Amino acid sequence: MNPMIRKELRQRMRERRGWILPSLYLLALCAIISFVYYEQSSESGRTQQGWQFGVTLFLTLAYSQLALLLLMAPIFSAGALTIEKEQRTLPGLLTSLLGPVQIWWGKFAASLMFVLLLLLIGIPVLSAVFAFGGVGPWEVGIVAFTTVVILGTISAISLYWSSAFRRSVHATAVSYVTVVVMTVVTLIIFGIAMSSVRAQDGWHSIPLEVRAPLYLNPLFFLTTALVPKNQLYPEWFTCLGAFVAVAALCAALTLRNLRRSGDVA
Amino acid sequence: MIEVSQIRKSYNGSRALDGFNLRVEKGELFGLVGPNGAGKSTLIKILSTLIRADSGVARIAGFDVAADPLAVKSAVGYMPDQPGLYQDMRVREFLEFFADAFRIPSQRRRAVVDQGLDESALGARAESFVEELSFGMKQRLFLAKTLLHSPQVLLLDEPATGLDPLARVDLRDQLKRLNQQGITILLSSHILADLQEICSRVALIAGGKNQQDAAGSSVIELRTPDSSLPRLYEVGVLRDGERAAQFAGAFTGVKVMQVEPSRMLVEISGEAAQAAEFLRHLVTSGVQVVRFDRPAATLEQRYRDVFGEKPR
Repeated sequence: MNPMIRKELRQRMRERRGWILPSLYLLALCAIISFVYYEQSSESGRTQQGWQFGVTLFLTLAYSQLALLLLMAPIFSAGALTIEKEQRTLPGLLTSLLGPVQIWWGKFAASLMFVLLLLLIGIPVLSAVFAFGGVGPWEVGIVAFTTVVILGTISAISLYWSSAFRRSVHATAVSYVTVVVMTVVTLIIFGIAMSSVRAQDGWHSIPLEVRAPLYLNPLFFLTTALVPKNQLYPEWFTCLGAFVAVAALCAALTLRNLRRSGDVA
Repeated sequence: MIEVSQIRKSYNGSRALDGFNLRVEKGELFGLVGPNGAGKSTLIKILSTLIRADSGVARIAGFDVAADPLAVKSAVGYMPDQPGLYQDMRVREFLEFFADAFRIPSQRRRAVVDQGLDESALGARAESFVEELSFGMKQRLFLAKTLLHSPQVLLLDEPATGLDPLARVDLRDQLKRLNQQGITILLSSHILADLQEICSRVALIAGGKNQQDAAGSSVIELRTPDSSLPRLYEVGVLRDGERAAQFAGAFTGVKVMQVEPSRMLVEISGEAAQAAEFLRHLVTSGVQVVRFDRPAATLEQRYRDVFGEKPR
């Protein structure tokens, strides 16, 4: 096992946030599920079928979970390299036999593992939807996979910022700005671009340059995963490609920064 | 063991190293001295593979630091001026992590870590968190980490910074011990007394270049490796330095260099026993010797001569 991953996980689990964040996350999910249940069951007429209720609950949980994890992912990765600079421990790592790739992978895997842990502990809550029907293992699987890809990309972006800045507070702030740009600004740009376009034949008649910002939007990516299996192509795959490309680019830039970081170490 | 030839490095157009040269022999404890901003840390960072030189060649144990950084990392132990430690790790965990990072096989790792703990006298604190250690202990822990992979060369950048006098003496003794075990040490420091005490030679650096003393040498010899070569001694006498100089001049192997009413400077050839014999000769001749020592201010004096400022 990469010694960096072992070290990172050990240190993270020792931190107070190592148990506070999962607890808050679980509490938030439980609050959301309770709220949705209360709202749906108190609706006038109560005409919803069980499976409809299951689908509503699943969608609410999927988007809420992604929103919560988008807020948490930068916490774990944006400070991962800046803390090494702040503690002056980076020279020790760089002069050991750990290469920049191992250092990056250790930081990335440990950050992602913690987010995956949150996803994992949310499964019992998420599985409540099976009781109502309307949602199968495929839907749960594709949503979970899409969420992991999104969070992996956010972690890679935050790690890049962590390699670019000297202070954790700056790297974290810029990581959150990036999350906001990806989730909100892309949507606004799409909305503005759409106002000057007449799309009469549905989604595919919208020019690619107008749609393009949405391919980097985590909420849009998740939405493309919620279509029937045979309709995943091309939108879901395009989003997947865009997110993986951004993550790969950020990884390459982080490695370049790490190789040059002896100057500031 | 360490060869640096015409090394150059600039930061944003400002020259940190400007054609610096250095040669450190195997088994030497070599000092690097110069004012702040002289380029000492930059040189040590280049040698430890942390940064790349713009031009020139640097080799350690025969490996080019730019072309073969992994081999250099295996051969070198680097200790920066402000060693960073993971405060939230236990002492043993810290050493285990770096033993793993230096690819020490898992079956040997525990023994290597135990040895590091013993040699740094931190065995009793193995389960303490790093943040609970004193500054001196942290310095010892970092040195133990630096030695985990049994490096042939130690690169130490101002290792005594911030240490209290006892910890400094401790560090000095430890470095002498390591040097006696055959480890080549390149030590940068502003504390001239320490360099004087433990180094065999010291290189002068300023503005990223080699600096020469009045004799035209850029390396000051502090220890004569060949015991048959003459050594300088300062002899303090109660009065009548001239008479003492006469007795000294009559002793075989002794050359009087300088005479003052209460002191003289002599050069004694041969083993240390020869110096002891000379001292006995002076005393039995009726010279009232109050001090007999190798001049401690030599390095400081030469530093002032070269750089024209008082060292820290």
